[in-house]
Amino acid sequence: MVKSLKYCHNHFSTRHHMLKIYLFLLLISFQNVYAQPNCNYYKLSGDQKKYEACKAAEKREGHYQFSWAYQNALDEALAIDSTFSYAYSAKSTAYLKSGDFVTWVELMNKAVEIAPADHLDYRGWCRYQFFRDYEGAIEDILWLKKLNKNHIGFSVNGDYHLDVALALCYKATNRTDEAIIILENKMKDPQFMTGLYDHLHLGVMYLEKGEYQKASEQFKMQEQKNDLAENRFYAAIASRLSDDEDSYLFHLKMAKKHYLNGQKMFDPYTEHIDKIFLSDITNEEQKNFKTEASEVNGYVLRRQ
Amino acid sequence: MSVGCTKERSLSFLNKDFDMDRFFILLFFCGLLGCSSGQPPFRWVGDIDPNPKLDNPNFLLCHSENDVRQYFNMSKGLSFEGEKPAIVSYFENNYKPVDVLESGWIRVRFIVNCKGQSGRFRMLESDEHYKERPFDKKISNQIFTLTTQLSGWKILQEKSEAVDYYQYLLFKIKDGQIVKILP
Repeated sequence: MVKSLKYCHNHFSTRHHMLKIYLFLLLISFQNVYAQPNCNYYKLSGDQKKYEACKAAEKREGHYQFSWAYQNALDEALAIDSTFSYAYSAKSTAYLKSGDFVTWVELMNKAVEIAPADHLDYRGWCRYQFFRDYEGAIEDILWLKKLNKNHIGFSVNGDYHLDVALALCYKATNRTDEAIIILENKMKDPQFMTGLYDHLHLGVMYLEKGEYQKASEQFKMQEQKNDLAENRFYAAIASRLSDDEDSYLFHLKMAKKHYLNGQKMFDPYTEHIDKIFLSDITNEEQKNFKTEASEVNGYVLRRQ
Repeated sequence: MSVGCTKERSLSFLNKDFDMDRFFILLFFCGLLGCSSGQPPFRWVGDIDPNPKLDNPNFLLCHSENDVRQYFNMSKGLSFEGEKPAIVSYFENNYKPVDVLESGWIRVRFIVNCKGQSGRFRMLESDEHYKERPFDKKISNQIFTLTTQLSGWKILQEKSEAVDYYQYLLFKIKDGQIVKILP
């Protein structure tokens, strides 16, 4: 009898333990707000209303974000449970992309109000990417860092760790020294995998501070990771300001070649910070190396 | 007849494996939906309907109202002769900063047709907290007019066919000055 009870207890404990693991895994999968939430998480958590809202939201699958069918499925979900924050976030995207920032913010504010830890990454990133609302993005990312004990993840497009986005916002608001510290610390961290453009951005920050040697080192690292017209262009500038004409001409030529081949920073919706355009290269080509070299301390292509 | 069915029709262009049988079945049910709902749903989020009181009558779409794409659908980004610096330069040369302590965003959205002509301009204005509110007319009228006069939008193609597409310009305003143009 005792043995049997013990077995039952162990069996129950094991099952209970397994259920906890299962719920934990579902929760992890749910944490990615941009993916379809796993409705079973709500079911197993006993939140039937949210489960039904989640299932209603699944009807949007296969429909374009801008379509009535997509939006209607999410409206149905919200009619079932107005606290299903994912639906607000998912609805907001089409408004964001169409430039209707008033509706986008209204929807995202609701999502953040209900579940800040789940939605601040998206709102904060978009405030930076789509609106160059640096102060707003800083506010959201710092809030998220506080809520999630510094585990803040990546931008929605996957291009940046949000700490890097934070650094870019600092740079854009004349806090370049703080931005450099963030990026230097990230690069020292063995757990951190540098993003597509991280070395380029750090190099440009050094360039703006007049630290040309450090800038060139970062552009070289960018070249090895993801060689673009941008790192070549800025490497040319660093060479010019270091009075190295051969290197200058070589990198400028490579910048133009990469640019014309489409090997450059690109985002279908907006432009990246530190992105260059063909006119930047041609304007640079028309400069006189001898008279331009070393005449300034620090270089800013344009303040974003 | 029904706007609802036009959505699904447009969706068919997005799904390569969409077969015609399913398309007509969907069309039928969408037709029912459109007739029975009494209130036709929108085509796509943010669609700009023609308005004779606002729009240049000479501006015409090349394709149907349902087939106006978004500028990013063709994965080309902002497509303008001379790229983004040409747009920035145009506004730097023509916008007269206004000595009014108003900040926020102004978005002008419009359609670029298959000939590269722009039309159906609509403006959205907000303060720096994204709350909708009008700017001083000396600011908003300038931005709106300059945007309507801007030429150089590139013709975008899909499967070798020139399309009509939605584009917008978003102006970040700080104390009456343009400090950033997006996207």
